[in-house]
Amino acid sequence: MSFFCKRATTPQFLLLTVALAFAAVFVPAPAAAHGVIGQRFFPATISTDDPFAADELALPTITSFDHETDIDFDYSKSIFRGFAIGFGIGHIDAKSPDEPRIRGLGNLTISPTLEVYRNPKHEFIFATGLEWEVGGTGSKAVAERSSTFTPTVKFGKGFGDLPESMKYLRPLAITGTAGYAIPGAHDEPKSIEWGGAIEYSLLYLQNNVSDQGFSTLVAHLTPVVEFALSSPTRTGNGGTTGTINPGLIWSGQHIQVAAEAVLPVNKQSGHGIGFIAQLHFYIDDIFPHSLGRPIFGGKK
Amino acid sequence: MIRRIFIAAFAIISLATPVFAHAFLQRAEPGAGATLNVPPMRVVLRFSEKLEPVFSGVAVTDALGHSVESGAVVIGGNSIMATLRPLPPGRYRVVWHAVSVDTHRTEGAYGFTVKP
Repeated sequence: MSFFCKRATTPQFLLLTVALAFAAVFVPAPAAAHGVIGQRFFPATISTDDPFAADELALPTITSFDHETDIDFDYSKSIFRGFAIGFGIGHIDAKSPDEPRIRGLGNLTISPTLEVYRNPKHEFIFATGLEWEVGGTGSKAVAERSSTFTPTVKFGKGFGDLPESMKYLRPLAITGTAGYAIPGAHDEPKSIEWGGAIEYSLLYLQNNVSDQGFSTLVAHLTPVVEFALSSPTRTGNGGTTGTINPGLIWSGQHIQVAAEAVLPVNKQSGHGIGFIAQLHFYIDDIFPHSLGRPIFGGKK
Repeated sequence: MIRRIFIAAFAIISLATPVFAHAFLQRAEPGAGATLNVPPMRVVLRFSEKLEPVFSGVAVTDALGHSVESGAVVIGGNSIMATLRPLPPGRYRVVWHAVSVDTHRTEGAYGFTVKP
């Protein structure tokens, strides 16, 4: 399975998604504030998971790297405040130079996230999660037949609490994630899946540090560098592989557009420079009184 | 397939109007980090969304943390306005919080300086 090969769908999943969407529309609950903690707005990162349990939709995420093009769909629904379940599917199209072209749907992933700790004053959040790649739900051509479970911890930290002498570093923020991937098949190696993002918010610079006279278009830009890595836990299973992805995120009131270059960290990670681009919807802002509210807890 | 995805994406965008969202600060007078030769008469904050007046507000304080507002804060539509007492030279801090009409909360703070 290639680095980006991971998603698929089933009729049961579609039914579940429709049922959840239906429930969310008709069960009132308060609007969640995804990606906002204290004075900090965290845009949704596109190569790695961010620590927020939010109502959001990524449609699509297009990744082209190392002879493979993936088109992914990810939807996250808040069940109650601070807890959300994500669902992901994706289409994979790969053509290595000396191998036949393969394509099809990857395995379905189900990924609950629980926000454990929030500290608005220090713009800090810690969350735990689990990613379950449901084996056998994707096309036999591209997807594993066995499941993989990855318990994960995630965090986000803004640096708005730096002293005045370092005020131009206050727009900086980082997010990080680390998970232990446990394949269902015993012959497959376990690995540490880790990564993160370093981001510099022009909105934070403009509104909280120094008014630069940016237009609204520019002020909502966030330069970002993401990295997504995989390290096998046993020697003999190869070294760390992954990519470093520098790019830009533009966050509007209801949508976000992001694009990043994909650079392999070593020869084992792939060849050449790829790209990843995403159109992302803030469902809690688009449908604040229905689909964007948690299903349980918090009637007005 | 890509065509279907983009049709779905644009359908969501079209369904999304009119909507509400987080109230982000779009313009502040005086601006963050400003150094002013003339003391400002007021602080005016303009947001991207309409505000809930009961749950929104601003506080302007001097370097010692004392309030320098001269009257009630006025909140209407997308704006918050605080009238200020005559300000002597020094550093001042603006701390605001805003709740948009759909209950999303945002907050922020910044400083400005009045030159001697």
